[in-house]
Parts: sequence; structure tokens; C-alpha cells
Amino acid sequence: MKPIVKQSKHLALAGLIAAMLGGTVSAQTLTMGVRAGPDSMDPHWSTLGGQAEALRHVFDTVVMADDKLQLKPGLAVSWKPVDETTWEFKIRQGVKFHDGAELTAEDVKFSIDRIPVVTGPMSMTIYTKQVRDTRVVDKYTLHVRTKAAAPTLPNDFIRLFVVPKSIGMEARNEQFNSGKAAIGTGPYRFVSWAPKGDMVMKRFDGYWGEKQHWEQVIRKEIPSDPARMAALKSGQVDLVNYVPATDYASLQRDKSVDTFIADTVYILNITPNVKETLPKPVKVDGKEIAANPLRDARVREAMDLAIDRRTLVRIVLEGLGRPANQLMPANFFGGSKNLPERPFDVNKAKQLLTEAGYPKGFEIDFFCTNNRLPGDSAVCEALSQMWARAGLKVNANALNGTVFFPAQQKGEYSLWMSGWGTLTGEASYTYGSLVHTADATMGLGAFNKQGYSNPAVDKLLEEGSRTMDDNKRRALFEKASELSMTDRALIPTVQLQTIWASKAGMMTIPARMDQETLAYEIKPKR
Amino acid sequence: MIGFFIQRLLQAVLVVVAMSMLVFVGVYAIGNPIDVMIDPASSQALRESLIQRYGFDRPLYAQYFIFMGNLLHGDMGESFIYRLPVFGLIFSRLPATLELAISAMLIATLLGIPLGIWAGYKPDAVSSKVIMGVSVLGFSVPTFWVGLLLIMGFAVELRWLPSGGRGPVTELLGMKLSIGSWEGLSHLVLPAFNLALFKLGLLIRLARAGTVEVMSSDYVRFARAQGLSESKVLGLHVLKNISIPIVTVFGLEFGSTLAFAVVTETVFNWPGMGKLIIDSITVLDRPVMVAYLVLVVVLFVLINFVVDLIYGQLDPRIRIKAAQ
Repeated sequence: MKPIVKQSKHLALAGLIAAMLGGTVSAQTLTMGVRAGPDSMDPHWSTLGGQAEALRHVFDTVVMADDKLQLKPGLAVSWKPVDETTWEFKIRQGVKFHDGAELTAEDVKFSIDRIPVVTGPMSMTIYTKQVRDTRVVDKYTLHVRTKAAAPTLPNDFIRLFVVPKSIGMEARNEQFNSGKAAIGTGPYRFVSWAPKGDMVMKRFDGYWGEKQHWEQVIRKEIPSDPARMAALKSGQVDLVNYVPATDYASLQRDKSVDTFIADTVYILNITPNVKETLPKPVKVDGKEIAANPLRDARVREAMDLAIDRRTLVRIVLEGLGRPANQLMPANFFGGSKNLPERPFDVNKAKQLLTEAGYPKGFEIDFFCTNNRLPGDSAVCEALSQMWARAGLKVNANALNGTVFFPAQQKGEYSLWMSGWGTLTGEASYTYGSLVHTADATMGLGAFNKQGYSNPAVDKLLEEGSRTMDDNKRRALFEKASELSMTDRALIPTVQLQTIWASKAGMMTIPARMDQETLAYEIKPKR
Repeated sequence: MIGFFIQRLLQAVLVVVAMSMLVFVGVYAIGNPIDVMIDPASSQALRESLIQRYGFDRPLYAQYFIFMGNLLHGDMGESFIYRLPVFGLIFSRLPATLELAISAMLIATLLGIPLGIWAGYKPDAVSSKVIMGVSVLGFSVPTFWVGLLLIMGFAVELRWLPSGGRGPVTELLGMKLSIGSWEGLSHLVLPAFNLALFKLGLLIRLARAGTVEVMSSDYVRFARAQGLSESKVLGLHVLKNISIPIVTVFGLEFGSTLAFAVVTETVFNWPGMGKLIIDSITVLDRPVMVAYLVLVVVLFVLINFVVDLIYGQLDPRIRIKAAQ
């Protein structure tokens, strides 16, 4: 008898501790420890990644993206251009909002009209800038007229969240944060949220899509990496995103944890400033020279050849990346499969520098962020050492994004590295912003701060942005990718990878390239 | 008394003005907040319209005077990032920080002062040496590291306590506090202890130094000669006489704990004010930065004012001086 009594005592104690620590958590609850969260419950407030990721649970978008960022039907079942400047969207029938009302084309129109009125500094208008007006044809048909031919409009609508018209134009962040206006058609109903705090959601049983497994989803915002990892290891959360590379090796050996890895859309690119004069002249033999050596294609090629991308991936990123040869993954719309892998050849780099008139190299300042993407400052410092082997003296400065971005905008840098993610999954977003000649009236080249300008590339990009035919457009963008990459308008280095970790045997997390952690795509293993 | 209070108030106003100027100039020196806040894919036209909307195109002094004008009407402005009134935003985080800071100060005081007095009363005992050793660790080992060790030990390995975050909150005295439930308390233990460590070390040292000095004074000898028990000597004469420096340090430390618990809040993911201010700095959310620092100034002035009042209660000599 005695052992049984003892055991039951232990059980009672265990039960007591579990009750103390576990609280109301049940088996059907998914608690996610995520790095960043939303700034508001209004889906039209901000374009921030954490914002879209969180609000996708509550609100649906007109078009959706699969894990490779290619388009799939969302609240619109289909879309097609009816003429050069009009897109027709067929709205899904039988979709219910969380308050029981039925979704119609009017709600979609209202959502598009609402964005310019309510959006914040991370302005959602970048997704509606091509829209001239909208017209409701019938209950389930919406015509969107665009300012010019807009073949990428469906891509923009991946972020077009739909709210019910009944909330009225006056609803602002406060009404959304309190839950009064936070009514969507998504798989989860909003329960509560506070800035930088937990977001709690309950399953919406009237959801139009697949039936959801998790009854309750809690998104805990834990920005500090060690704190997030500790929360997983102590069992406080069921999964975490953005596992630091340094923890990855030990997690692989840990039997209580499963890991999931995915390629991301983020590529670290080096940008050489090719303007007539540099903001800070380079030095040869300690003396400043007037000329800008980066204007010479041979110098840019030499810098490219001096980069050992495999070492960057294997050593600096601890294996969590891939060598990159263009500004976005090759399988994206408009990516080129013809571009070769970038070779590593220090001797040829030295030879090219000599040919260009810099046998002893030169000294230049190099800037990058240190807190924006995993490994950004480590790659930055490794690059400066790699260039040193080719004879260049590159002073790497890894700065906080708060300092880096304003200075980069002001054009204070001669050479810099920053991450760019092709979040729309197609080329016009990336190449139109980074390599097209800066032109405010056309709205192109907004991030071309390096002064790169190639009329042939510009022509291809402009033509592409007018071409409605998918195959023709794809070919134009492929050509533009190839031209600008051979020019080394920017020098891509590595594509980053991302890791999730979860309690062992509990779930499978899909490898999304946009790194979004979506409860409704996470399937239980049992 | 009222003159004294008004003098303190004027001081506070001056500091607030100086500090708000510093924040404005500082943010201006870093760059345009729009460049940090804006979406990378935005066009130039959008950027300019935003700059206009937030008034960043106006000269710095104009921006400052608009802010001060609003402030005089009691309007601290809205956060750039959340578009919520900044005071509401800060006060929604205040209870979390308040209970963390108070718990930490309680732990530090209730443990630190008795231990310090003991160490001063029996300076040669082994226990005193151990206490002094621990106190050195308390203020020399960095907080974030101790925090991580605590998490590794008590949350990850032993699984006795949660690794971070704030547990369920209950409404107490009109504030949402986590001390109302066992689970809430279990979330509070580790961060409060972590935050208390430094102050614990400090208070032990202060109490010990004071006790050593007081023990050899005449009035302690006379008190003993009078036949008072040791506990009475310690509790009445010693404690009262070592209180002045302790109260001073307590006040300062309480203020800085409230304002700058940020390291502990980050390690334990505690949703307090410290995390809010750090997040605001990284996105140059100027209204939140200014409002927060104004609040900190007011807090410090208030605490110092209370400390001054307590001095009078503790030491009659100060009261008499003030009266003259």
C-alpha cells in the first residue's frame, strides 16, 4: 500500500504545481512567442511586417500568398483585367464577418477607400497607390480602375485587409484596440490586445475556410532573443520564431524541441555609390582623391570577386543562408535563371583593381545596420576583411537602424550594405525601387540612393510595368534583372534563412518565405 | 512648508523645460523620424506628405513651440507609432512597473537592512563575512546576466517559476496588478528579485557601515549601561541613527528603479514603462520620449520631496533647523 500512497502524494503535488503554473491553458491553446507585434488592431494603420502577420488571423485579404509568395485566391475567388486599366475581382460568396454580417463587394470598396483616411506613417497607401477608383458592379463583383496599366495590382492586394462597411469611416485605432471595430472574416475572433503585450484570439466557427484546430491562440510579444528562447524551454510558449543562429546548433541536439527552417525573401545587398563625387572621398596612400573609383565597372567587379559567399554562409551565418546572385530568389516572378553563381577569385580582383588604376587599392568607409536582420553586422565585418585580402582598406561601421536609415536617405554614405526583402514575390517592387533611375514623378527608384542609371534597364522596367500579359512581362523583368546585376548596380551577397522552434512532436510549422507565423497554417502533429 | 513645496515645483518645471529641449535637439540631430518610421517601399511624394502632416518640415523651434503650446493646454500629443494619447499609453504601463519596483524595493529593504545591521553588529562572525560577500556580488554582477541565470535555473531547469511575461492581472485599487493571484505572483518573483539584487547589496553595505559607526558611539554605551536589552538598543537607537543615509539612498534608488528598470524588463519580458521608452527611442517616437522623461522628472522631484519630509520625522534636529 505504501508506495501507492506516496505516488498519489506526488501526483497531487504535481497537479497542484501544474494548476499553479498552467492556469487556464488547455491542450487546444496555441501560445506563440513572437519577436514583434502589431502597432494597432486597425489592419489599415501600418505596413509593418508584425502588423500584417498578427492581423491576418482576424482579417482576410482580397488576394492571399502561399508559402513561396505566389498568389492564391483570398476573399476574391478570381480576378482578371477587363481592359488596360480595369481589374475585375469576383468576391467569394457566403463569407461571414465575426458579427454575422455577410461580406459583399461594398465592404471591399469601403476598405480601399478607408486606407488613405486612416493610415499612419508606415503608410498602407503604397498598396493602393495604383487605384484610381472602385465601382461595385453587383453584390459579388468589384471593378477597380487604375491610374495606368497596373499588372501588379493583385500583388498589392495581398495586403488589402477587408473590414466591414458597418464600422463607419470614423473608427480609429482606439475603436479597433478595444475590439469594438476589430471585426474581420478571418479564422480567429479578436479577444484582447495592448501595445507590446499579448494578443488573444478565439476560433471563429463560422470561418469560410478550413476548420481550425486551435481553439484559442495567444501571440506573446517577446522581442529579446534569450527571453524568447527561455520561454520555449520553460514551456511557457509552444513555439518561437526568429531563433538566433547561435542557438540553432544546440536546439538540434535537444530532443524536447523541433526546429523548422525556411529560406526568406531577405538578401543582404552591397550598394556602391556611383555618383560623380562621393559624399566622403576615398583615400589612396592616405590622401583623398577627387575621383569616385566605384564608377569604374572593373572596381565593382573586383569587389564582387573578392567576396567568398560560401564562407559567409558557412562560417559567418553558421550555415543559415544561401549565396545570392541577384536581388531576389530566382524563382520569383521576373527572377533570372540564367545568371551564374558569383565566383570567388581574389587574384582576378587584384588584377582588375590594378587595371582600373588602383594597384595599391584605396580606403573607403562602409556602413551597415547591426540590428535589423540576423547576421547583418557580422557579414558587414567579414566583408571588410575579405576586401582587405584584395588590397582594399574598408572601414566597416555597423550602426543601429535608427541612425543608419536617416543618414542613408540623406545620401551620406559612399558604400553601404542593407537587407531588402521582396515581399510581393515579384520583380517590379524590388528592381523598380532599387535600380531604376531615381524619378519622383514616375514614383520609381525611390531607394536608388546610389545614383545608378542605365537607360536600357529603365526602359525594360517601364515597359514591364505597363505590360498586362504575364509571360511578356516576366521576360522583360528577367532581362532587367540580368542587365542590372551584370552592371553590379547592387552586389547581392547572401540570402538569409529563418528558424522556428516548437515543443517536440506538437506541430508542423510551414516554411513561409515571408517568415510569417500563422496559427491557422500550423497543423498539430497528433 | 508651502514655500518649500513651491520651490520644488519651480525646480521641476525648469528641469522639464530643459529636458524637453534636449529631446527635441537630440532627435533632430539623429535625423528625420519619418525615415525610420516610413515603409521602405514608399514613394518620395508620400514621404513628403507625411513630413508635412507631422510638421517635420517646420523649423525646429517652431515644432518645439507648438509642442509647448499644446503642453500648456494639458495635451502631450499622440504617439507617432500608435496614434494613442501618450499619457494613456504610459499610464497603461505604469502599474506593471510600479508593482515590480515596489516589490524589488521591499525585498531589498526587508532583507538588506536586517542583514546589514547584523553584519555591523557582529563584524567578525562568519555569517557576516558571507553576507558581505553576497552584497559584493549583488552590485558587481550585471543584472542581465543574473537575470538569465535565474531564468535558466528556476524556469528552464527546475521549472518552478515562469520564465517571463506578466501573469494574469486582477483589478486592485483601480489598477491592473498581478499580485492578486498566485500565478500572477509567480511571474513577479524572479524579475523582482533580479531587480532587487543591486539595491540589496547597496542597502546591506549602508546599514553595516552605519551600524559599525553607531555601535561605538557614547549613546549606545549609555543605553547598554542603562540596562536596555540588545534588541532594544539595535531597534531603537541604532536603526534610527543609521536611517538618514538609508532613506536618502532608498529614495534615489526607488526613483531610478521606476524609471530605468529596463534591463530587467527586457530580460523577463515585463510589459513595463522601461520597455516602452526603449522601443520608442528605436523608432524615434518623440512624443512618447518627451512625455516619459517629463514623468520621470516629476517622479524624482516627488520622491525627493517625500524623502525630505521623512528626514524631519526621523531626526528632530532637521525639523528644528527648518523651523528656525
